[in-house]
Amino acid sequence: MSNDILNDLAYRKPITLRVYFKNIYDAIRTTLKGMSITIKYVYGVKPVTLEYPEVREELPANSRSRLFNDVENCISCMQCSAACPVDCIYISAVRREKEAPALKTKNGQAIRLDLTQYTIDTALCCYCGLCTTVCPTECLTHTQDYEFSQYTLDNMKYDYLDPQVRTWRNRLIKN
Amino acid sequence: MHSLNEEKLKTELLTVNMGPQHPATHGVLRVEIKTDGEIVAQAIPHLGYLHRCMEKHSENLDYRGVIPFCDRMDYLASMSMELGYVLAVEKMLGTEVPRRAQYIRTLVCELQRIASHLMFFGTYAIDLGAFSPFLYAFQDREIILRIFEELSGVRLLYNYIWIGGVWNDINDDQLKRIKEFCITMSESLKKYHSLVGENKIFIERTRSIGVITKDLAFEYGATGPLLRGAGVKWDLRKDRTYSIYNEFDFDIPVGSGEKGTLGDCWDRYYVRMQEMHESIKIIQQCLDGIEEGAIIGKVPKNIKLPKGEIYQRTECPRGELGYHLISDGNKKPYRLKVKSSCFTHVSMLPDIAPGLMIADLVASIGSVDIVLGEVDR
Repeated sequence: MSNDILNDLAYRKPITLRVYFKNIYDAIRTTLKGMSITIKYVYGVKPVTLEYPEVREELPANSRSRLFNDVENCISCMQCSAACPVDCIYISAVRREKEAPALKTKNGQAIRLDLTQYTIDTALCCYCGLCTTVCPTECLTHTQDYEFSQYTLDNMKYDYLDPQVRTWRNRLIKN
Repeated sequence: MHSLNEEKLKTELLTVNMGPQHPATHGVLRVEIKTDGEIVAQAIPHLGYLHRCMEKHSENLDYRGVIPFCDRMDYLASMSMELGYVLAVEKMLGTEVPRRAQYIRTLVCELQRIASHLMFFGTYAIDLGAFSPFLYAFQDREIILRIFEELSGVRLLYNYIWIGGVWNDINDDQLKRIKEFCITMSESLKKYHSLVGENKIFIERTRSIGVITKDLAFEYGATGPLLRGAGVKWDLRKDRTYSIYNEFDFDIPVGSGEKGTLGDCWDRYYVRMQEMHESIKIIQQCLDGIEEGAIIGKVPKNIKLPKGEIYQRTECPRGELGYHLISDGNKKPYRLKVKSSCFTHVSMLPDIAPGLMIADLVASIGSVDIVLGEVDR
């Protein structure tokens, strides 16, 4: 078996002296040509790399980064959790009592259910944006926030009813 | 005495694992190679390290929810991946796609083809020992990714092409930037080719290496640049046209065996470089012809496909991608089978590899340009 393979290498024919020197000449000529292009890059092209911790990039306006739910406008319709392809949104809600004062969302829809839990497992989330497009009150949005690494997986679960998480609103939502 | 010497000189093949964490295999591909010295006697690819059950997953998702999973197959050409699936669903649904949406789709798919081939160009140069072309290619790729980021919101896994149209509209500023990009790109492509493709060392490393003949390509059903590199003029965009590709004027570059044998690594490299020029042509025609109008057609909120099945194939940067979609009349696909070109191409390795040096095997794998996400799905 091994002999057959060695015979296959026979396509490397012996070369003449002329071809030998032409090969050397070609190699030097084309390499110099490449080097001249590289030197142009050294002196002619401005650096494009952002030096990250010092320079922070502003993401485009419709960038799909960390999810934020403005729970005050949420009507618990569960459309986001139904649309989610990886099932990472956990919602539970109870019927709002009749005696309680009537609440309305920003765009005038009556809130008939009280949220008791609204959690998104950001570690599972695939940032596809399908949940934000079905949201009728536009309370669930993608933000431009991209620095949210955590030490444990559990910390990636965001409970948007948590008062601390709610304070993000001022920072994330403009208007 | 004679027989004793022969006994002593007997050689054995040495089994070496290349991968799964080998940088030259472009992902998690393990190639089990039996070597005779430095020469490969046998190469067996082992797949499945990146299997994510995409086909089974999609049976439990609604038709819109499958699109993000399509992205994750070939993560370097997500737009092209989406297009095939979306076309299949639209054909079954009978949706009319607005003209503007079709233009935007063509635009992003061709930009994606350039981005993907630039990635090939860069990584292939790294495989063969040249590092700086990779950085130059990424500079240009960054411009495309930035435009995609503004259009869809993310850089790689877009979920941008939706059933019935596209998600966001493209604005004049972005169109202008694409126009400028086309001009600079066709110049820098020539520069890249003289930097890498015409280099004597590169030619010596790639010519007559990893030859895929026409017969071998037909036998396995190879598509895309592999088939065109073997000298077959076959491009689905022209021969089985879809979307609005029939309105554009472009050529199909084929390999000619200019530097060595027909269908060698250099031919495949050159076909890809030429394809980028053709993509630029299509983009420029797109920019001239783009119309005002809606970007998404009338699609019901809950998509229910009629009973039946469809096979839709599209030309992706790496070859032909086919979606076989079976519907039983419910909200979810009954079965979604994906025919990926990379799987076909990686299966050709046992036939390409014997007789190559190990370093040439790396060059062959690089020139086939596989993405393991698409191989394993």
